[in-house]
Amino acid sequence: MKRWLLLQIGRAGLAAWATASLVFILSRLLAAGAEEALLGEAPDLQTRTVASSPVARQALQQRLGLDEPVFYVTRTSRDPAAWRWHGPHNQYHRWLAGLLRGQLGWSYRTGQPIGPQLRAAFAYTLPLAVLAAAGATVAALGLGLALASGGPASGGWRAALHLALTSLQGIPVYALALGLLFVFANPDALNLLPAYSLGANPADLTPAAYALQLIMPVLTLVLAVLPELALPLAAALRHELRADYATTARAKGVPAARLLRHHALPNALLPLLTSFANLLPTLLAGTVLVESVFSLPGMGRLLAEAAAAHDYPVVVAGVLVTAGVRLLCLALADVLYALADPRIRLAL
Amino acid sequence: MTFTSRPRPAALRRLAIGWLVMVGAAGLLAPWLPLPFAVGVPDLLHLAEPPAWTTAPRHWLGTDLFGRDVLTELLFGARQVVVLSLPATALAALAGALAGGSAGFWGNRGCRLPLAAWLLGLAGAWWLAVLPGGGHAAAGLLGAAALAGWAAPRLPWVSRAQWPLPLDSLFQAAITLLGAVPRLVLVLTLAAGPPLPMGQLLLLLGAVAWPEPARQVRAQMLQVRTLPFVEAARAVGLSPTQVWLRHALPHACRPLRAVVPLSLAGLIGLETTLAFLGVGRPPDVASWGQLLGMVRQEPSAWWLVASAGGALLLTLLALQQVARSNR
Repeated sequence: MKRWLLLQIGRAGLAAWATASLVFILSRLLAAGAEEALLGEAPDLQTRTVASSPVARQALQQRLGLDEPVFYVTRTSRDPAAWRWHGPHNQYHRWLAGLLRGQLGWSYRTGQPIGPQLRAAFAYTLPLAVLAAAGATVAALGLGLALASGGPASGGWRAALHLALTSLQGIPVYALALGLLFVFANPDALNLLPAYSLGANPADLTPAAYALQLIMPVLTLVLAVLPELALPLAAALRHELRADYATTARAKGVPAARLLRHHALPNALLPLLTSFANLLPTLLAGTVLVESVFSLPGMGRLLAEAAAAHDYPVVVAGVLVTAGVRLLCLALADVLYALADPRIRLAL
Repeated sequence: MTFTSRPRPAALRRLAIGWLVMVGAAGLLAPWLPLPFAVGVPDLLHLAEPPAWTTAPRHWLGTDLFGRDVLTELLFGARQVVVLSLPATALAALAGALAGGSAGFWGNRGCRLPLAAWLLGLAGAWWLAVLPGGGHAAAGLLGAAALAGWAAPRLPWVSRAQWPLPLDSLFQAAITLLGAVPRLVLVLTLAAGPPLPMGQLLLLLGAVAWPEPARQVRAQMLQVRTLPFVEAARAVGLSPTQVWLRHALPHACRPLRAVVPLSLAGLIGLETTLAFLGVGRPPDVASWGQLLGMVRQEPSAWWLVASAGGALLLTLLALQQVARSNR
């Protein structure tokens, strides 16, 4: 078991490294305009004129580490195209060596180390994602049980609920967030909730204001992931209720509610463990939009803004963290599978 | 499912297809429609005004924050669906069918390539990557490939030199790698920066969308390849490629009828999301996402929510309905 777990984590790490490396190299190949963009953002005209001189450009390239080749080998694009070996003096090697020492690099825009920046953003996003995950799990269990309890031919509110959930399924997260914003934080409609974050630092807010500010983002995320949890759960429950053991239990006189909760639910949950474990990474992706719409200073907004500003070191670090979380959650799902169902053998 | 079959699926399906045809026609014909206002041209006297049906400048659906006519923007937003999301979906479905179909049909052992094919592939890669030696080495490899091809029917040890191409493992690795990062984050990372040309954006959207159809086709192919008619086609003496392309693949593509509308819905969502974030396309290209995003600055603009949100919602619901009735 321990060996299998280590293997699983190793595999997850390997995949995260491969993805981040791929993004690193692709983004550096696309980053040709990065220093131009930075020069363009110079605050006043004088700096800009000074900075656009070739010397300043070279200094800037040196500061950003862009004067070195991207990878161990590069291909010269000039007419006799050939491969050149650069040894360890290249951007990728520096990045990887820094990564192994826990140093994620420096932001192009601010010149600050990325680690603390990412940690602060993550500390803001994590409560959001965990709250949303908990809310979505509870709501999905409740709705799934409610949908399945009526039997296949029941109509009325269950049909309406089913229809609402299926309609919700394909709606993009930003549209959901805007819809909530339009209804609940609109001076012309219901002006119940604050639309935008009041202060950048959650520590400055009173707990009540903080909670009030979190309602809409969490609700958006819950609504975004609810259909893909509740609908398969309801289908699996209905499938289990048709099985022979359910018939036997009914013949023994087990009440319907007890049959649903104690007999069908554990069996129906098993195939859905993966989707529940995948909840956190999906929510992390959802925060990119939710935090942009509601102006929250979290991980998703950091990533979106860094991408828009060509701040590639921050983007690569964000991708690495996201990929790592996702792959760890998948490994966790496998472990939970094995714990929940002793019939499943862990394949080495 | 019984819930979904109750309100007469045939009528719903017709309604859904009707709406989709309307969106498609609007997108195709938008530049040639006799619209009262040109696209992207602001009416500076009427910024963010609700629909005006009786007073002089008849903005049927109102104007947006910059004074552009919402009806015109909406029709040109449908154009994004037709020229970007639809081709990207087609690309993803094609790539998914070919990749998933071959991975499912041949697996890891089934596709045994002779020495000549490996040498040919190596020569091509050598030439494309301009490895040391360049053209000469590639020509030498090409000659070796020709020699191997010539010798294979004559010398038994050459014809025995075959190695399987691990198609299924390659397929799974590609899907795992793409799946490690959420789709939106990946697109955001690669599309951020200067606006991409149409072709590159299309390729990018296709590249993130192909795993889902591919997975479905592969799963279906694993069942189809054991069916008697495939075995019969093999027994008749058709080559494996012919059996795959003519007989197995058309059946394995059956799940695509339900998957492709959902993929299209996903890509429309992704495209409008990018437009909302202002990533990937120039800001003057009309899109439903951009139109909808203006609600943040002007929360009282109900006509923006009703028109852009309504069009998006109806399109996505129609695609879901089509997918459900094709299942």
